Amino acid sequence: MRTRDVFASAFGAAAGNPLRTLLLVLAMAIGVAAVVVLTALGDGARRYVMREFTQLGSNLVIVLPGRTATGGVNPASAITSTPRDLTVEDARAVARAPSALRVAPVVVGTSEMSVGGRLRDTLVVGSTAEFLDIRRFTLAQGRFLPVEDWDRGSPVMVIGARLRADLFGAEPPLGQFVRIGERRFRVVGVLAASGSGLGMNTDELAIIPVALAQQLFNTNNLFRILVEARGRAAIEAAKRQVTSILKERHGGEEDVTVITQDAVLATFDRLLGTLTLGVAGIAAISLAVAGILVMNVMLVSVTQRRAEIGLMKALGGSGGTIRLLFLVEAALLSLAGALVGFSLGHVGAWVIRYLYPTLPAYPPDWAVLAALGTALVTGVLFGVMPARRAAALDPVLALARR
Amino acid sequence: MIVRDAVFLALRAITAHRLRSFLTLAGIAVGIAAVILLTSIGEGIHRYMLGEFSQFGTHVIGIAPGKVKVGGGPPSGLPTSVRPLTIDDAMALERVPNVIGSVPTSWGNAEVAFGGRTRRTTVYGVSSAATHVFNMKVRVGQFLPPEEPSQARALVVLGTTLKRELFGAENALGAKVRIGGLQFRVIGVLEPKGQFIGIDLDDTAFIPAARALELFNRDGLTEIHLSYQEGAAVGPVVEAARNLLSARHGREDFTITTQEEMLRTLSNILDILTMAVAALGSISLLVGSVGIVTIMTIAVAERTNEVGLMVALGSERRTILGLFLGEAVVLAVLGGLMGLAIGLGLAQLLRLFVPALPVETPVLYAVLAVAVSALIGLAAGVTPALRASRLDPVEALRAE
Amino acid sequence: MTAPQIELNGIERVFRLGDSVVHALADIDLAIYAGEYLSVMGPSGSGKSTLLNVLGLLDSPTAGTYHLEGRDITTLSPAEQARVRSRRIGFVFQSFHLVPRLTAAENIALPMMLAGIPAAERAPQVEKALADFGLTDRARHKPDELSGGQRQRVAIARATVMQPAMLLADEPTGNLDRATGEEVIRLLEDLHDGGVTLIMVTHDQALGDRAHRRIYMEDGAIRRDSGRGAGRLPAPAPATPGGAADREP
Repeated sequence: MRTRDVFASAFGAAAGNPLRTLLLVLAMAIGVAAVVVLTALGDGARRYVMREFTQLGSNLVIVLPGRTATGGVNPASAITSTPRDLTVEDARAVARAPSALRVAPVVVGTSEMSVGGRLRDTLVVGSTAEFLDIRRFTLAQGRFLPVEDWDRGSPVMVIGARLRADLFGAEPPLGQFVRIGERRFRVVGVLAASGSGLGMNTDELAIIPVALAQQLFNTNNLFRILVEARGRAAIEAAKRQVTSILKERHGGEEDVTVITQDAVLATFDRLLGTLTLGVAGIAAISLAVAGILVMNVMLVSVTQRRAEIGLMKALGGSGGTIRLLFLVEAALLSLAGALVGFSLGHVGAWVIRYLYPTLPAYPPDWAVLAALGTALVTGVLFGVMPARRAAALDPVLALARR
Repeated sequence: MIVRDAVFLALRAITAHRLRSFLTLAGIAVGIAAVILLTSIGEGIHRYMLGEFSQFGTHVIGIAPGKVKVGGGPPSGLPTSVRPLTIDDAMALERVPNVIGSVPTSWGNAEVAFGGRTRRTTVYGVSSAATHVFNMKVRVGQFLPPEEPSQARALVVLGTTLKRELFGAENALGAKVRIGGLQFRVIGVLEPKGQFIGIDLDDTAFIPAARALELFNRDGLTEIHLSYQEGAAVGPVVEAARNLLSARHGREDFTITTQEEMLRTLSNILDILTMAVAALGSISLLVGSVGIVTIMTIAVAERTNEVGLMVALGSERRTILGLFLGEAVVLAVLGGLMGLAIGLGLAQLLRLFVPALPVETPVLYAVLAVAVSALIGLAAGVTPALRASRLDPVEALRAE
Repeated sequence: MTAPQIELNGIERVFRLGDSVVHALADIDLAIYAGEYLSVMGPSGSGKSTLLNVLGLLDSPTAGTYHLEGRDITTLSPAEQARVRSRRIGFVFQSFHLVPRLTAAENIALPMMLAGIPAAERAPQVEKALADFGLTDRARHKPDELSGGQRQRVAIARATVMQPAMLLADEPTGNLDRATGEEVIRLLEDLHDGGVTLIMVTHDQALGDRAHRRIYMEDGAIRRDSGRGAGRLPAPAPATPGGAADREP
């Protein structure tokens, strides 16, 4: 039978029972749409996290005080401290590493600040001028911390966008004074508003010079040392150099943990990727259910079209032709369902992007192809049994009136 | 019509087309099996997590310095510029009614050395009451003795992993170890506690809190843990502690968290995750219900003349609606039962082959599964059934 | 003089087909007394089937009234009409309309199931019906295991199991061979002898002539009504073309 006639016949059969066809298409479409939307969501989350991380500054090597015997980072002790402090001196030494472009010591703590009569508990970061470049911050107003001796520190402060709004409202913040503890700090800059960032949302931060922060929290220990390597190729070298510098300074003890941002990124990437796959897999179970429905309906169809099939055979159609006809029907139905689902899924992904503009929810190509392919294969697979039944019908019995 | 007759007719209709009915209910079965399996895993993880957390002893309240508004939630141990929590604070809190023990806590990472071997580990500064709070038992020797914190001697109690790493099979009691340059005498070794979400709880050392503050060069405690009487209401204890500490500090510059709250938060998060996963599985159920709609529509079309007959025999429209609806519900419930069996079976199989993955199927889920199936049958069957009940009998009888 | 069992007054049934309007029944006045044996004949499109459907409460007239056993049933609610169909009316169809997945016994029991009669009460009645119609050894067979004649017998048993006041038969022998058809007709007439009103729609003249009262319809109206007959016609001679049964008495 000619290809065009095969398709025409299949179309005719589908059109002959519009409601039934519609329901079958719907079943397939739900499955495909679900996979498309969910992978869009998952991949969007993954890309969002990646983007946020790379915004933290690439080529980053991060030093944390403390180490577990197993060598890894113990998640329970994200805040670590050791008998030997990680000091600003250490940070200066690290800055001399050949592969290091920039270094910034970081101290973090919470404190209460007051402006006028307003009190606010705030996350306070103590660092240096290099922090701005390493973290790729942008200023909305004023300037960042000045380049100065890390052991001193002028009483200046840079605040985040939200903090500015909370403390100063509509008043211009630059030049105003903020009191923390015993000291007054002059606001010299305001950070640009960020979307919700991972790690640290800068909108609620207050940044002061590291020396003053250490005094404020009464500690010599740093929270982190951030090191920007000279380039992507230099990251590993930087990591090695930093580790050996600190080991030497700490009396031969390796009591710090040095990680590269890439490693952290890679872990997240893998994690989210696997999650997306898992979620899509579960959604894809529905494709199997759709396939069962295809088989069911086609079997009914075969029974109902017995006379038609008997006639075709009587007119010289072979079993192979009949089988082909039914398989093509199953394939067309699945394809139609897959395409409808694909469109619906894209609409769904668009809705997500509309509601959460920061989430790049695009269905990845691999997922779309997988969904379409699975739908098609499922449909054809589940169409095999009905097709064989149809082909095996005895024309005499089929034509006899029941 | 008597219900028994209606069920009989529904079953007759279902068994008249065995393969078709089987495939239809298989669609529901797959969905239910997926949901049951996934929620069983979720429930298993839930119970496992709660069980793990409760090994820290129940009836515990944690107090941390500072009130961080940023992000909310319990403080993370960041340094703070507000007035620190002191050991004296901890001692004062012992006076709160129903409080059994008050443990000043300060922890950090340090190297413990003995006889040439060193091991970097977590060192906890606590007090004698820590055995209650952290649910610890001593295997050899004793725990830190109750004594005046300012006069606390440099004693240390080791966790089993640490002891093994430093001493091997030798006796550790009485030995002198160096922690961060200071000397401590070993007075006890703890019973092994195992792991907690991958963290080795036996890789620890316990010293008096005052010594820990010295060691890590801090002013204030990381936390104060209060353990209170079992059976006592937690509210009043929290209130009393809050008042006492506020009076001492001049204001409320600390955060109190009860273990109940933490567990509840954790529980909620896990519940949400389980529900999300169940929702995923439900996508299959949705497709399964489309299957029921399709098959029932076909059934109504096939049995149009039967509907006309029923009207002629004196059936009310309501009865016809009920018969078709009943068929859909019976199909769906049968599918649900099959799915339940498959899901449970798979869950048990998983338990067998992957003992590390906790799996539990509460009876409630099973009951819900069947109930949901019935609802699906109702929802899916209602449109075709309504159509059937509205058929014109004269036209219907003419259909072939 | 008793009141008629069935009284149709000014019955109209109008259909709309696209733009055109069809008067399937036009101003029908008909009185039928209990126990009558009626045949309704006429060309296709004459409205005889529609008349049967109206009588059987399967179709509602567009105008006019229908009194059954003194009650005006045109105004009854659908639920009450269903009750009337269940208990007072029995249908016999040309294509039997047996439920293919139920056994003979279950098919017969169907009207009782619909009426909510419990299984214990049904059983003896079904047994009796099976015996009366010679179907006892066929009780557990499904329709596809029965001959045409047996199927129609099951259908008639089903139609009479609730002891209705009237039996409505629409071409009852249309799907049967001549001999079986004879049997079926004799069965129906025996039932009529038992007191039930028998109304048969047919296009077979020979069949129609057996009835005591013959109504002839054309274009939705009654053209001829032979009137209320008294007693039964003598049994017709064995079927020969142009035999005595073909002639009017």
